[in-house]
Order: sequence, then structure tokens, then C-alpha cells
Amino acid sequence: MSTKAKVNPAVATQGPTERVEKIKARFLATTPEICAERAKLITESYKETEGLPMTTRRAKALEKILMGMSIYIEDDELIVGNQCSMPRSAPVYPEFSCEWLEAELDRLAKRTADVFLISEDVKNTLRKDVFPYWKGKTNQEIATALMKQEAIDAGNAVVYTVGNYYFNGVGHISANYGKVMSQGLNAVIAEAEAAKAKFDYADAHQMKSLHFLESTITANKAVIAFANRYADEAERLAAVQKDAARKAELLEIARICRKVPAQPAETFQEAVQSFWFIHLVIQLESNGHSISPMRFDQYCYPFYAASKDSMPAEKAQELLDLMWLKLNGLNKVRDENSTMAFAGYPMFMNIIVGGVDREGKDATNELSLMLLQAAANTKLYAPSLSVRIHEGTADVLYMKAAEVSRMGLGVPAFFNDRTIIPALLSRGLTLEDARDYGIIGCVEPQVGGKTEGWHDAAFFNMAKVIELTLNNGYDKRTAMQVGPQTGAVTEMKSFDDVMAAYTKQMEYFVGLMCHADNMVDLAHGQNVPLPFLSSLVEDCIGRGKSLQEGGAIYNFSGPQGVGVANAGDALTAIKKLCFDEKVISLPELKEVLDKDFEGAENIRQMLVNRAPKYGNDDDYADEIAVESANIYCREVNKYHNPRGGQFQPGLYPASANVPFGGVVEATPDGRKKGTPLADGVSPIGGFDISGPTATVNSVAKLDHEVTSNGTLLNQKFHPNAVKGEEGLRNLIAVTETYFKNGGFHVQYNVIDRKTLEKAQEKPEEFASLVVRVAGYSAFFTALDKSLQDDIMSRTEQVF
Amino acid sequence: MNWREKVLDFDNIGDRGEGLKGLVFDVQKFAIHDGGGIRTNVFLKGCPLQCLWCSNPESLASKPEITFVTNNCIGCGKCLEVCPAGAIRQGETAGEDIIIDRERCTLCGQCAKHCYAGAINIIGRYVSVPELMQIIERDRKFYEQSGGGVTFSGGEPTAQPEFLKAALAEIQKRGIHTAIETSSLLPWEIYAPILEHVDLVLTDIKHMDDAEHKRLTGVSNQLILDNIRKISSLGIPVKIRLPLIPGINDSDRNLEATAEFVEQLSNVQSLDILPYHRLGEMKYRQLDISYPLKGVESPTVEHVEERIRALRERGLNISVGG
Ligand code: SF4
Ligand code: SF4
Repeated sequence: MSTKAKVNPAVATQGPTERVEKIKARFLATTPEICAERAKLITESYKETEGLPMTTRRAKALEKILMGMSIYIEDDELIVGNQCSMPRSAPVYPEFSCEWLEAELDRLAKRTADVFLISEDVKNTLRKDVFPYWKGKTNQEIATALMKQEAIDAGNAVVYTVGNYYFNGVGHISANYGKVMSQGLNAVIAEAEAAKAKFDYADAHQMKSLHFLESTITANKAVIAFANRYADEAERLAAVQKDAARKAELLEIARICRKVPAQPAETFQEAVQSFWFIHLVIQLESNGHSISPMRFDQYCYPFYAASKDSMPAEKAQELLDLMWLKLNGLNKVRDENSTMAFAGYPMFMNIIVGGVDREGKDATNELSLMLLQAAANTKLYAPSLSVRIHEGTADVLYMKAAEVSRMGLGVPAFFNDRTIIPALLSRGLTLEDARDYGIIGCVEPQVGGKTEGWHDAAFFNMAKVIELTLNNGYDKRTAMQVGPQTGAVTEMKSFDDVMAAYTKQMEYFVGLMCHADNMVDLAHGQNVPLPFLSSLVEDCIGRGKSLQEGGAIYNFSGPQGVGVANAGDALTAIKKLCFDEKVISLPELKEVLDKDFEGAENIRQMLVNRAPKYGNDDDYADEIAVESANIYCREVNKYHNPRGGQFQPGLYPASANVPFGGVVEATPDGRKKGTPLADGVSPIGGFDISGPTATVNSVAKLDHEVTSNGTLLNQKFHPNAVKGEEGLRNLIAVTETYFKNGGFHVQYNVIDRKTLEKAQEKPEEFASLVVRVAGYSAFFTALDKSLQDDIMSRTEQVF
Repeated sequence: MNWREKVLDFDNIGDRGEGLKGLVFDVQKFAIHDGGGIRTNVFLKGCPLQCLWCSNPESLASKPEITFVTNNCIGCGKCLEVCPAGAIRQGETAGEDIIIDRERCTLCGQCAKHCYAGAINIIGRYVSVPELMQIIERDRKFYEQSGGGVTFSGGEPTAQPEFLKAALAEIQKRGIHTAIETSSLLPWEIYAPILEHVDLVLTDIKHMDDAEHKRLTGVSNQLILDNIRKISSLGIPVKIRLPLIPGINDSDRNLEATAEFVEQLSNVQSLDILPYHRLGEMKYRQLDISYPLKGVESPTVEHVEERIRALRERGLNISVGG
């Protein structure tokens, strides 16, 4: 099992320094606001560049933003670089969409989740200088124009939502951070210059590539100039600084910002600063979430190793903690509906440690442990921290991960190399690339610096398909025939008939969803290419193509099925009670569902207590759940995207299980109308009554390889269950057994229900309580009440 | 086959049927406080003792029993309709629960079968060794990964000696660690063959004073103490468990006597202190039995620590909470 570790666990025992505590306290005291600077600058730039090639306009706009936005260095900071004119604030990206923002402007400070303050000044700027220009020009409007009406109708019925990239940038990427650290942006510029020679300006298509390459050069130069602005600012502050120690720090910051990211980093601090500039600018350019640093312990290790002996251990840990705080400072404003699916200001930036290296050997190093320690030191919701587990995972790493897990922050998430590497191989990655995978966002694997994965292409509402199957394709809520007529329940004479109808509905809607996704994809390629980001992903420069047009080596689109457990348990109840035992006929059952169980609570109880349930290691229920998921996956696998890549299914929800449940009628699993769906591949909350081992056995029966876009299993433990060294060993044993059986991902929420109840009553006292939502963590008190309730009802495994 | 499936089988509940069967009232997976690692606990029904503080009253009788959980009842009236013995009637006053006449009930299981809300349950199912093995095997990988296994508890598992022995033998044969949680109150001739298949014994010492022991449990402690000495001489690892009941067995004198006894044994892994809790009280209600220990409060953590300080100081390996 575990190999002998060379890594000394003592390296990761440094607690947070005073500096870290101070900056964190400042962060917690700040309420997010909306900042209009970026919106104003990009609008001006777009006005100036009308008529130029889109890629050129994008580069010039980025340049204008980086040169024109306010910059500042806060007290105590060592790693510098801000996203907005105020800390923790969110910029506006009107080029992607802004109709919703205009409509919701006055509600931002009043809504129930993810509140943003907004000043009257900012509102005026947006209303006067920004919104009017973008009418009819946003990516969202252009994508809508490309879509079939049926696809829009099915979207309105919430059979799926492609909302993420429809309203926003794509994000969901990992750039080649390691390359910037070791070679610098000057090297990227030189590469783009060299590549220009390959293309013939007389050829109209190739000319497009030349425009693209030019734009990457403009963008990279702008980023270097941006870093130099911080060098200037640090020098200015140093000149007036009385405190000698702080003065020295500021001068060091100035020196570093003159050097990186233009040139190769040499020290640890230079590497972290270089990383931060790149990460920050990618965010400023693109507005996507899930921009993921991935294998930081691998690509940053050489710099740590180079500085380790000349730097006190606490300094190295402090730099990581400061980077953690910086990552928390990034923010994003979403439309009110989307905050339901992505609640808690999440940015889904995933950092992953451990696993094997490109040669297949254990990759654990000191940084792996120190990054876990950074999560423990800062106790905040970002970044999403993950651990890769393989046959030979070092015991020190496993134990450290279990310890941090037990703290109840919901991190780290555990990922299984033994399933994920073969899954990626099956999608055409080379063996070395597959071994080098990291995680994007919640649970989506890819190899960093080479992939445009579109991992969050859509959420697909599997429970809605159950409803539509029982209603012959008719959606009661929107009063529309959104699906094909696959037969009334009175015509379904056997369970096979039901499955056949379900399959047909599935085929139809998955097809529409993929179409809708592809139209959004096309729109991104035409309207919002991202030259800076593209220059840091292979092989965009070589191919002379932006990421958005297929420049990456690997291209995917990954839509997620939500509500596997509901679909499975609904079909199981139908099979068991309507056809096997014939205690109720299907039309009778439908009648009861139509009335939302009114006057028929005993029938609901029968559905709940007399039909087998997924999650209890009961093959009857598990097999049907697996089949209902496979039907979805098989359909998704059939499609291709305009970037020349394949669709690949995932089964995870972010927090979409709550709003999705909101539009689904009562279902045969005994679920009442409008209540949340089960999250990820987890069983329905409260139905997994046979303990975590049974849950894990059930979930492992799903095909976690075909769902190469990721599956998500949440397990909640009471602190008692993981007490002491033995408790940690048990947590590891559960993880290890799940993984040996083919599991993909598991994460643990170690918090007792009482604590959550108290937090609901007295949010003020629990402002810093972080919980795992689904694939990411958030402040509990920032969540909407319905989501809080949902988290509380996930069965707590107490024994 | 899993336990839930068995529980959902309501037909012929009272009928033992052919072959060797045990009366099981629960199977819990992921048990992590009863013998090391991740375990499956099998609870056998029936117990010869009558401890005042028993938290599993449904485990006492050696036959299946009918229980009623007020909170779950949705008043659908199905049970009244289906009972062939006329053993169920509606309470007289409005809003009152249904009333089960346990004398008349033949344990046919029909009411439980149709009580979808789970208000009426029949506790206890007859299970054969092969059936039990199917349930146990489902978590084999967890046992292997964590150093866990199977623990038989109760009730009193040794009250069904033939079944227990056969089950333990089969489990051990398949390479799974075995443990029993027992009062050790049984003749050695019956105990010894069972112990041949046991890797770890968890056994209670409820009181060292024989007269007190009789008062609290209805039986003498001599046989129990003799048996524990014999187990020790056989070299089978033992965990001694001490249910700590305030005012009943937590005096300095009794704790000291317990410690002295434990110190004479050679194979004790630990002395597990199980502080009294009242979680069982609710179950008495469901069985229409009055709670014998009314008025005794659960001890606080501080109280427990204060009481056992002397034991820790003697250098015994103590764990609290089992
Ligand atoms: S189990 Fe007893 S109470 Fe229930 S239906 Fe049968 S005879 Fe009546
Ligand atoms: S069948 Fe169950 S729920 Fe219905 S009245 Fe009887 S006890 Fe209550």
C-alpha cells in the first residue's frame, strides 16, 4: 500500500503568522462590492477598436484594463496584485452578458445569497457608460441567436441549463504556470514572434493566425507592464515608509515585480509572485470561474527547493498562506439564478497535491504537505484543495490529508489515480499527460496547460426527464410540450416500456443540450477569444489559433447529470411497486404524483420505505441507478464540439441540485414537488441508512471511468466518527476501499448537525464557518436557507 | 442479500423454519468502537440478564417483538384493517395513538407490512449462517483495509450458543477477525467451544460486589469473574467494559476492586468505561415497558473523568466511550 515516505511531516507544522492573521481579519471584515473600473475601460476600448479583428480588440482591451485600473499594495502584503479598486470586490464583464446585471442592479445588495454592495456612483457609471453600448453585442445575445427554439424551450423548462458559459467566460482552465515561472513571459513573446514566420499573410485564413499571434504579443507585453506598475508603486511606498523592516519588504517587492513574470523566477517568493500575476490576469481577461492552479506542489517545487536553505521554514509557509489569502480575494458576481447553483462566492480554483509524476512515481514532496497546512492555517473557502491518491501514496500525505479533512473545512477532496488515469487514457491523452492530470473546479480532471475542457458546459436535470417520461413529454410548469411523445402512462405495460420511454426522452434532450452548448461554444470563438490565456496553453501559438477556436491539444465539453439518485430511485420504485409487486398501478401512482401526495401520505411512505434505495449496497436499486446514469452517459458520448473535441459526461451538481429540484414535480422516489435533488452521485439525503460502507459500495457500482468529466461523492461524518488516530485510519480506510472499488472522488464534511443549527440561528457568531457544498467549500452563512437546509439533511454518519 | 431486505420481509416472522437459525435484531455496518477497525456488528436477540440500565430493551426477549413508534404514525388506519387477530384498536380519545394488544398478537407481521410509515415494526428476524455471511461479506474490503471484522453483540450473543458458534466458525474460516461482546454469564462447557472461534472478547464487569450485582442484574457475579479468569488463561485478548452508572457502580470502592481484578489478568487490552446514557429510554416507551432507571441523569464528561482518575493513575489502559 503506502510506500516509505522521504518527506518529513515536520515541514508542515508551522501555524499562521501574525501577518497572515492580520490580513485574514481584514478580509473577513470586508463585504464584497461591485467595481465598475473594468467595465468602463473595456467599453472605452471597444469603442476605439471597432472594425479591427476581434482577437486584436481583445488584446487591446486587456492592455487598456491593465494600464488603467487602480492598483494598490496593502499593509503587510508580500505577494501583490489586486483584481478591483477595492479588496474582495467583483469586476463587471459586460462583453459576456449584462442584461441580467442591468435588471438586477438594485437587488444585488438585497438578495438572499452572495450579496454585493454597490454604490450609486458605480450604478450611474454602469447605466450611463457601459450598458447602452453593449445592447445586442454581448456574447449571450449572439449565442441565443444561433440556437434552435426547441433548445431554448427545453432550457426554459429547466431540463438543462447551459447558463454558465452562456452568461460568463469559460474559465475551467489551467494555464502553463510552471512554464512562466521557469522561462518568463519574454520567452512566450519570443515563441509567438517565431511562430509568425510559419504563416503566410497572403492566405486569408492564415492571416487570421497572424492577427492572433500579434494579439498574444500585445497581451503578454501588457502583463509585463502591469507588473512594473506594482514595482513603481512599491518603490513609491518604500520612499515614504518609516519602518525599516517594511521598507525592506517593499523594496524586495519592487525588485521582484520588475523581474517576474517577464523573466524566469529564481527564488520561492519570485515564483509565487509570478504565479499570482498570471492567475490574476487570466481572471481579469476572461471572467470564467474554476481557473485552477492544479499541481502547484509539482511545478513550484524547484523554486522552493532552491530557496529552502536560505529561508526560515515559517517564511515559506507564510508565502503559501499569503497566496491562499490572495486567492480568496478574487471574486465574481453572478446573476441571481446562478447564485442558486453556485452559492457562496465560489471561484472553484483547484489546487491539487500528491499523485504520481509523469513517470508514474509517487510525487509527494514537502510542498504537498505545506499546501495542506496552508488550508489549515487560513481556514477559508478557497482555493479548493485536492489530494491525488494512488497505490503508493506516501503515508505522511494520507495522514496529513485526513487530519485536515477532520478539521471540518470540507477540504481536501480525495481523487483516485487508479480510476482517473485510465479514464483520461480512454479519452485520448498520452500516458504521461494522463499521469500529470490535475482537477479543474470541483471534480473535473484534465492535463494542465494543454486542455480546453469546457468542463462545466451544462447541468442536466435527470429528475426532470423522469417527470417528462411520466407526462408524455409535456411540461406542466411552462405548459409546453417540450419533449417527444413517448407514450402515456396508461400505455406502459411493463417496466421495459417505462425504460424505453425514459431512454427516448433522454436521447432527445441530451441532443438539444449538446446543440445549445455548441452554439455557445461557437459564439465564444467568434466574439471573445482570449489571447493572453491562449498564449499559455499548448499548442495555441503553434497552431496560430485561440483556445476558443480549438488551439489546445485536448478539447472537450463536459455536461453534468444531476439527480442520479432520484432518477434511479424513482425507476426502482416503479419497477418494484408497480410491476414486481403490483401494489399500485403506474396510472394510480401518476395521479398521486400529480397531486403532490396530497391525501396520499401513506403512498409516499410506501415509496420511501418499501422500495429499495440507492446507497444501501442493495443491488436491486443500485443496478437501476447505474443504468439510468449510463443512459445519460451513452448519449453524451455521441457528440462533438466545434473545437474538434468530444463531449464527455460527468455526474456532479455544484449546488444545482437545489434549483433543479425546485422545478420538478413530485417524483416516484417519494420526493415532494419542488424539494432538492440528491447531490452528485451521493444517495438521497436520509435514504442512505446503512452506513458509509454501504454507501461507498453502492456508489462504486457506477461506471466512474466513462464519466471522465468527474463524479462527486459527499460524505458527512460526525466528529466522533473520526476521533483520534484510529478515526483518521478509518477515514483513510473508507477512502481507500472506495478507490480500490473504482471510485473517482470523495470528500468529507466533518461537522455536527448541532453546529449547523446554531449557525443558522446566529449567523453572526458563525461568520467564519466553512462547509463543503459540493465540490467546493463556502461560508455557511453566505448560503441561501434552502441550501443550508439541504446540507443539514445529508445523512450524518454517526456511530 | 442485505439486512434491509431481510427487515422488509414481513411474512412468517414468528416462524423459525428449517435448519440452524439465529434470532437477529440488527446488523450495523461501519461500527468503529467495538473491537478495532471498521466492523459489522451483529446483534442477537435475547438476554438472560435484566440490567436496570439496559439501553436495548428490544434485545431482551428471545422472540420477535412488535414495537410502535408514535412519531412515525400518520394515522392511515391500515393496521386496523389488516390485523387478522383483532389485536389493534384505535385509542379512545381523539388524537390518541393506536393500541396494540400484545397478548392477542400472533406476530403475523401484516400490520408492520402495511404500515408504510414505519410506525409499527417487528423487531427480530430468524437468519441462517449463509444468509448472515452474505451480509457480512459485503464489507469484507473494509475489514481488510482497516483491520476490522465482525462483532457479535446483543442482547446476549451466547444465549444462542449453537448459532453463535457456527457463525463465528464460518467467519473465522473465511479469514475475518471475530469478536463477541458478552456478559460471560454462562457455563464454561458452553462458553469454551464458542471461544475457540473468537479473536477478541469484550466483556462487562458491572459490579464487583456480589450482593450488589445480584440486586442490579438479578444474578451472582461469581461465574462471570471465573469465566473472565479462564479466558485470560487461554490467552484470548480481552477488553473489559465497565458501564459507569452514577450512584450505582461508580463508587471509589467498586472502581478500585474492579481495577484490582483487571490487574490480575494477563490479556486485557483495555478497560473501556461506558458512561451511562438515556438513549434507550425512548425504546421502552415503544415497547410499552416502564423505564426502570427513571431519575438517573447521564454523567457529565467532568464527572466521568473525576471518577476514573484513580484508574488512570494506576497505569491501566483506559478508554472512555468504547
Ligand atoms: S402482527 Fe400482531 S398486531 Fe400485527 S397484524 Fe399480526 S396479529 Fe395483528
Ligand atoms: S398503519 Fe402505521 S401509520 Fe397507519 S395507523 Fe397504523 S400505525 Fe399508524
